[in-house]
Amino acid sequence: MKTIKFLAIVLLFSIKGFSQNSEKLKLALQKGLIMIDSAKGEQDFQNAANYFERIAAAEQKQWLPAYYTAFSGLHSALVGKQSMEIKDAVYDKALTFIEKADALSPDNSEVYALKGYIVFMKMSLAPQARAMTMIPKATGIISKSIALNPENPRAQLMLGQTTFYTPEAFGGGKLKAKPLLEAAKEKFDKETSTGLNPSWGKSRCLALLQQSN
Amino acid sequence: MKQFIFLLTLFFCQQIAIAQTRISGKVTLTNGQQVAGANISIANTYDGNSTDTLGHFSFVTSEQGRQLLKFSAIGHKPDSLWIDLKGKTLSLQLKLKEMVNDLNQVTISAGTLETGDYKKGAVLSSLDIATTAGAVADIVAALQTLPGTAQAFGENGLFVRGGSGAETQTYFDGMIVKSPFGSQLPDIASRTRFSTFLFKGTTFSSGGYSAQYGQALSAALLMETKDMPEKSSTELSLLSVGLSATKTIKLKKSALILGGNYYNLQPVYSIVKQNIIWNKAPIDAQANIQYKLQPTKNGIFKVFGQFNRTQAALTTGPEQMAVTNNNNNYFFNSTYQDYLNNDWKVQAGISYSRSNEIGGIQENDYSRFDELTQGRFSINRYLNGRSLIRTGAEVYFSSREDRYNTLSRNFDNHMQAAFTEGEFYIGDNLVARAGARLEHSSYLADWNIAPRLSLGLKAGKRGQVSLAYGTFYQNPDDAYMIQSKDLAYEKADHYLLNYQFLNEGITFRAEAYYKQYSSLTKYDFAGYAGNYGVNNYNNLDNSGSGYSKGIDLFFRDKKTIPAGDYWISYSFVDSKRDFRNYPALATPPFAARHTLNVVYKQYIPYLKSEIGTTYSFSSGRTFYNPNKTQFLSDKTKSFHNLSLNVSYLTSVFKQFAVLYASATNLPGFKNIYGYNYSADGSSRQAITPASKRNFFVGLIITIGDNTFNR
Repeated sequence: MKTIKFLAIVLLFSIKGFSQNSEKLKLALQKGLIMIDSAKGEQDFQNAANYFERIAAAEQKQWLPAYYTAFSGLHSALVGKQSMEIKDAVYDKALTFIEKADALSPDNSEVYALKGYIVFMKMSLAPQARAMTMIPKATGIISKSIALNPENPRAQLMLGQTTFYTPEAFGGGKLKAKPLLEAAKEKFDKETSTGLNPSWGKSRCLALLQQSN
Repeated sequence: MKQFIFLLTLFFCQQIAIAQTRISGKVTLTNGQQVAGANISIANTYDGNSTDTLGHFSFVTSEQGRQLLKFSAIGHKPDSLWIDLKGKTLSLQLKLKEMVNDLNQVTISAGTLETGDYKKGAVLSSLDIATTAGAVADIVAALQTLPGTAQAFGENGLFVRGGSGAETQTYFDGMIVKSPFGSQLPDIASRTRFSTFLFKGTTFSSGGYSAQYGQALSAALLMETKDMPEKSSTELSLLSVGLSATKTIKLKKSALILGGNYYNLQPVYSIVKQNIIWNKAPIDAQANIQYKLQPTKNGIFKVFGQFNRTQAALTTGPEQMAVTNNNNNYFFNSTYQDYLNNDWKVQAGISYSRSNEIGGIQENDYSRFDELTQGRFSINRYLNGRSLIRTGAEVYFSSREDRYNTLSRNFDNHMQAAFTEGEFYIGDNLVARAGARLEHSSYLADWNIAPRLSLGLKAGKRGQVSLAYGTFYQNPDDAYMIQSKDLAYEKADHYLLNYQFLNEGITFRAEAYYKQYSSLTKYDFAGYAGNYGVNNYNNLDNSGSGYSKGIDLFFRDKKTIPAGDYWISYSFVDSKRDFRNYPALATPPFAARHTLNVVYKQYIPYLKSEIGTTYSFSSGRTFYNPNKTQFLSDKTKSFHNLSLNVSYLTSVFKQFAVLYASATNLPGFKNIYGYNYSADGSSRQAITPASKRNFFVGLIITIGDNTFNR
């Protein structure tokens, strides 16, 4: 009897596909989020982007892998020292993936918040040529993100961040950004654990607040 | 029993162990250079890894059997290969090829300078045009700082490589614009009718252009209007010359834009000393409306309508002629373009323009009426990679009437045109374009067929060489056709060779050209025909010919000086032609031998300002002297101009505003464009700019929006 039970258990373990697909995805995403949290430089973020891209390719109906591919790509260019051309290509790839995420999860405040971030960073590569068209585009996307979920701390952070980096002459600056960042901080404080959903941004928010004092 | 269970467990463990395969290796480019950050994965699984800084990768997978291994890296073409997973370690050497993108794609650059915000390698953006000192935000004036162009010197138009202003054709979203400039007043050049800010890009082609464009012997100016605006806004401009306003209303999938301006130069001309006597300083009133709709993801439908009324009166010339000019211009243009699927793109357009000019020269009245209706349709079929075939057809109905006191004459012309062209990208380093254009004119009762050929070849990582050859036909000027039906098309053959180097903020271009003109219109006329009013030409025929050869050099650096931008453009033109009433081959006045432009702009963040300066030089122009036996053997002295402009970003009533000031010819050079001789040739009057210096001040306010929106 014990033997049969034992054999049965061993057999069960050797059958492929034992774990549920959603469990597999959940574990994989968790592992990826740890990669992002511990990422220190351009290479780490690129590795994370590649990791999420592999998941996104295998899970064509899930928005989170595409979202995090875009997020990691964005950060690899943010912290990296690549040439302007390569950064442009990295941002373009991130845009492709956030648009995939948008198609899979339409009217998602998080997706719009991240997209606004990427558009703004792409603009910053060539401000003289791009500011006029891309700043309004980025602020439009961020406004939509806030409209979709006014309590989203990341949407509010994006508003504060883009204002922080927009020159005063163009209606931005640290003074204008401060109340917006404080509103973002409040929303971060209110936010409860979101599991695998996006939860980044609090440390960025605090860092910008410190600089605007 | 225990032993059996142990063996069984071992057996199952081995099964699990057999199911894992280690895959490792290196990713390099075709030249052996390692690729860091590349992504290796097994299709339809999560398994895979990234390469390290040395290009090495390693990972373990429990997949078995035949699997597709994919690998890619940013900036490179993704690739894949089939592998067999049997539990044995796999060691792979993977090679990636560089991806061809807009920036490193080989293009046909001969004769083409693209400007605009969206084209990589673009020469001028719309902001560049607005901030080029001396241009006062006029597209054509800004283009005169680019290689291949000459100063206007009192004549409307864009003069390219020894060609007259009429040889440059202007296109608005692919449709010909009959009168892109304001009225021609005697020896005074007008601005373009269209605001710089309507356009997202301009392609200035100084030769060898595509079979899509005809009726231009020298150059094609292709202006493309902006697509959907980003948001609603209102803009008000208070200028030293008048007022201007634009209102943009953005709806979900469409937008409506209303604009208008009223300019009256009387106040400015009473302050700034004028070289001519204005009986009525120019008044310019304009209203325009635009509608844009995005019916599908990639489709766009545009409608543009504009009405423009100008009035002016002056006294000019050695005989002190009193000249009046009133012009009403209507322009309507609608285009539609969409992608049917990935392979097909369609473009259609219709346009109507009508111009009514009434004027007087001394006691004589004259008027000119012009009407043009056109329709155009074209299809692009995309082939492998970026190759494509395009074909299209156009129809034109034009009418023209001249009146002089009680006399009148008119003519109508129906034209049909068709073109076919293919652009073939062979590998990543070569592109070839070949096409032909067919035209027919009912009035001339004549056909023409024009071949066009060009080639682009990569030269090194950042450079390319380009060649172009083409035949270009153009109807003789309306002023000639209205007097004679027995004329034929004028013809030009272009041969171009171009080298271009583009690298992050640095642009260098060198282009050599040879143009052969034939079948140019000739006539009998005593003296030298002015470009104003109504003239009578006798014995018109197409026995004229000519040539134009030279070299253009262009260097731009947006990188070296922080927040600074400068370019130097030099053109050399050796041109002679026997046309109009020339007795022999001679260098025409509009073909100055040397032209040099140096443009510099600097953005100063802590002053919230941008300053710009332009220095222009042109060697002397030939002019007609009735006292000399050799035609056009005299030359004026050289031309110099130094202009300055400043833009200051500020806010007015908490709304974003730009304060703009510009001055042309600041040092006050005494420039002479030519001379007008009295009828008996005994006295002459120098043709000078309308005023020695020109000043302009403007305040542009964007209401209801604190992001810079143009």
